[in-house]
Amino acid sequence: MFDLHMVLAITGVALVGGLIGLDRTAAGQFMISQPIVAAPLAGWLLGDATAGLIIGAMLELIWVLDMPIGSFVPANATVSAVTATAVAALTSPGGAPRSVLGFCILLSVGTVPFTMMADTYVRTWNSRLLDAAHAADGADVARSLSRAHLTGLLAFFLKSVVLYVLLLPAGLVAAALFLRSPDRVRVSMELFLMLLPLLGAALVVRRLSISALDPFLLTGFITAGLLAMVLHLHAVMITLLTVVAGWLGVRYREHRS
Amino acid sequence: MQSLGFSYALLPVLKKLYPDRDEFEARLRLHMEYFNTQPYLASFILGAVVRLEEDRAAGRASLSAIDAAGLKAALMAPLGALGDSFFWGSLKPLAAVIAVALVMTGVWWAPVLFLALYNLWHVGLRLSLLFWGYGSSGDAMALMERYSFTKMARLFKAISLSVLGGILAGISGWRPEFASNLPLPGPVMAGAALACTLIIVAVLRRGGSPIKFMLGLALFCLALAYAGVV
Repeated sequence: MFDLHMVLAITGVALVGGLIGLDRTAAGQFMISQPIVAAPLAGWLLGDATAGLIIGAMLELIWVLDMPIGSFVPANATVSAVTATAVAALTSPGGAPRSVLGFCILLSVGTVPFTMMADTYVRTWNSRLLDAAHAADGADVARSLSRAHLTGLLAFFLKSVVLYVLLLPAGLVAAALFLRSPDRVRVSMELFLMLLPLLGAALVVRRLSISALDPFLLTGFITAGLLAMVLHLHAVMITLLTVVAGWLGVRYREHRS
Repeated sequence: MQSLGFSYALLPVLKKLYPDRDEFEARLRLHMEYFNTQPYLASFILGAVVRLEEDRAAGRASLSAIDAAGLKAALMAPLGALGDSFFWGSLKPLAAVIAVALVMTGVWWAPVLFLALYNLWHVGLRLSLLFWGYGSSGDAMALMERYSFTKMARLFKAISLSVLGGILAGISGWRPEFASNLPLPGPVMAGAALACTLIIVAVLRRGGSPIKFMLGLALFCLALAYAGVV
């Protein structure tokens, strides 16, 4: 199972994932680390961009509103998404079937506690770096500060690399066991994948709206439904028009109040 | 939390403004005190602090050490709340929901659109806030007047919900990985998707983390599979 090709693939994913992970908190925050970008990127590197796109889209919906407010450390959706994609791509080289995609998304849940613990630990360690720079004598304080800053970046990178090196082999073993599981288990994972968009949508609706039956949700639903049925418009155009419908709804509400 | 990055960003400015080593060190140590806010809006505070330090070094204002520290302390909490609500709570979900809507229908460039939508705002605001903070010396009221973050956040949330409604309505056109074998007409499928989502929302409002709900959904699917329903 873990031949040279697999070891190289795991090492490659760990290094690329470590770099992508820097975007999460340590440098830039251009959202390259978001599941919807990181997972397709990892999938493309491993030869299955579609698996990355599907896994990334689902994990994006599920974790998008798990926000790093104040000192709260949210789940590391980057590690979860890249791990799930890499496991799917490496398990099914010809393109991951639906059941494997569903299983890998479920598998990503198992990574969450480890990533949260690792993130909390590195952040605590990072704050100690500042204390060390503070304690530096005289003119050395600037040099200590620069060194602490770069050490912090390196710590975040290494944290991600270590997580991938530990989680990926575990995930691959779990996926291999899953492939030997009874048909019904695999069918259940297909259904799980099909229902995930509904759970993801519900998670976002719960956080964005306080009303049980949100008027904007219904506006978009009716607009898209009518446009698809009556005018048979392309999906991109329908999405654009639901954006316009939401905007018009806000303008109408403002006008009335 | 962010003191390390903040003081590192200030290093070149402080080096230039304070040739005297003792003074440079004192000012640097001052900025190494506790600092934590929304990372993008930190640009505004950074610009304001640079301006204060320039004024101080040029003797244009009789600022004591407490002024720069006081400014940071006064701004970091409100700007943190404002930025969290705008960037994490509305802009990111909007870009994500639009990208997911396109992924669901098989558009491969959705991640590129996500990055473009988010970073047009993010990078633009981050740059302009740095200069706005510098120009206004940290006038938060002027910032609020110039950028109606709360209003924009409300708009982005409404549009996100509208697009989500569109995703649910288009269930019969979802990419094959999410396609159902049920022989039902599109409108019925869409209605069922909306109803299921609203039921899940109602359950979610009772509390629980996404992890619990994913595990619960997996168990539910397993039960259906073993019951022979699917």
